[in-house]
Amino acid sequence: MQTIHVDHATKRFGSLEVLKQVDFRLEQGEFAAIVGPSGCGKSTVLRMIAGLDHPTEGTVSANQKPIEAPHPSRVLIFQEHALYPWRTVEKNVAFGLELAGMPKKECQNRVDALLKKVGLSGFQSYYPHQLSGGMRQRASIARALAMDPEVLLLDEPFGALDAITKITMQNELLRLWEGSGKTVLLITHDIDEAIYLADTIHVMSPRPGVIVETIRSEVPRPRNRNGADFVHLREKIMTHLDLAK
Amino acid sequence: MSQTSSSSSSSSASSPQVRPKAGSLWQKWLPYLAAVGSLLAIWQIAAFFLPAYLLPDVPDVFVRLFGSMNDAEFTDGIQSSLLRLAWGYPIACLFGAALGLIAGVSQAFAVYLRSLISILQAIPPITWVPFFVILLGFGNATIITVIVIASFFPMALSVLNATEGVNRTHLELARVLGANKLQLLTKVFAPESLPAFVTGAQVAFGNAWRSLIAAEMVGGAAIGLGYYSRWRGEVADMEGVLMSILVIGTIAAVLDLVLLEWLKRRLLRYRYVKTGGAE
Repeated sequence: MQTIHVDHATKRFGSLEVLKQVDFRLEQGEFAAIVGPSGCGKSTVLRMIAGLDHPTEGTVSANQKPIEAPHPSRVLIFQEHALYPWRTVEKNVAFGLELAGMPKKECQNRVDALLKKVGLSGFQSYYPHQLSGGMRQRASIARALAMDPEVLLLDEPFGALDAITKITMQNELLRLWEGSGKTVLLITHDIDEAIYLADTIHVMSPRPGVIVETIRSEVPRPRNRNGADFVHLREKIMTHLDLAK
Repeated sequence: MSQTSSSSSSSSASSPQVRPKAGSLWQKWLPYLAAVGSLLAIWQIAAFFLPAYLLPDVPDVFVRLFGSMNDAEFTDGIQSSLLRLAWGYPIACLFGAALGLIAGVSQAFAVYLRSLISILQAIPPITWVPFFVILLGFGNATIITVIVIASFFPMALSVLNATEGVNRTHLELARVLGANKLQLLTKVFAPESLPAFVTGAQVAFGNAWRSLIAAEMVGGAAIGLGYYSRWRGEVADMEGVLMSILVIGTIAAVLDLVLLEWLKRRLLRYRYVKTGGAE
């Protein structure tokens, strides 16, 4: 298991400063979220942890070792376009295992079990374009889980879904995470989503991206989206984002 | 492709079967028949007003065509043209795809290839015929070389554009899941460029066939469909000329509509699966 440490990371693209002195820790097994408006650089934080980008200053490390390149123990789930259109659902889910050279039989068993877990049993031979948005994202999650990663990085995973499907998927995600011991970092612009799912919420403001506040949520699960403490937390986050009246 | 057989058996989804409607086959072929029919009709109407030595009737040409199937000079011509196509076209496709893939990986080579192509594109393929006739002599070698020059670049351009435009997320996803350089090439670049490969193959085919016939006509060979048609023209045999045109058009249309279409549906099978059903 690994602890991720984003240590005073600054990221510049040319003269544009995207992130400034971002500093936080991701403890083992915690469900954390970064919430902020589009373009505030929160995806860049995620990409740095995934090993796809590197900070201009500061470090991003896993267990005190700087993250240089992607590693299957830290899997990133993208918002969309993430399934290969030429692969069936089961081939998509098996992709990471195939890259690692897992024997076919073992691979098949693992994929079938995972598809069952995410509610996609029977859709093995479907192509992504035959599925609804929610089902595609389920397949994406199954593909990430197939790697049995220690850290799951979710980049606005439900951003493209309709409001009702989104709520269902949030509950599914919680069900999959609870008791798994996996560390999850969720990036979202949906304040309610962050409060509903995460225990630690980093509020980020844009230009350049800085974490303005880190909130430890004490709201007991299952969380009531209309409960007093939920609403209070929402108001607090909105104030930090200059959204409160 | 490999992903069909093993998967369908394990799937327990009961998908509603899409049954073709009655008469849909007729509906599918009607536009093709109409296209052929209208061309023949225009020809026949014109033939009513012109003497037979200028424009023979449609049935007369077909009778002549069936008669010519026993004419060794004509059938040998078809055979040698097809043989040249069977060599030149696949070579051009493979050559073009390889160049396109390399250019997709190397920026400098891409610039080189693009300029090379724009130079070659500016020169009509048949202008190479005299050059290669002197160099390689009459016959297959010259014609096949001309076919390759004329038809490798649509493939190269198509594949080059595809490799340059490979979805970034698809690549990053593979890297996140642990793909090495070779796996990126075989598991992301290659399948993602496949539609472009098919498009390239279709455009290249048109180029190959046209340049083949043209090269035979301008004297690259003393046998072949193009040569036959020119020779019939020189002796003012209008039936022979029209018959050649018919055969040239039919062969190209059949290869394009049947063979290449089949190849496309096979390689890009995932695109033709209906929404909501597995098979």
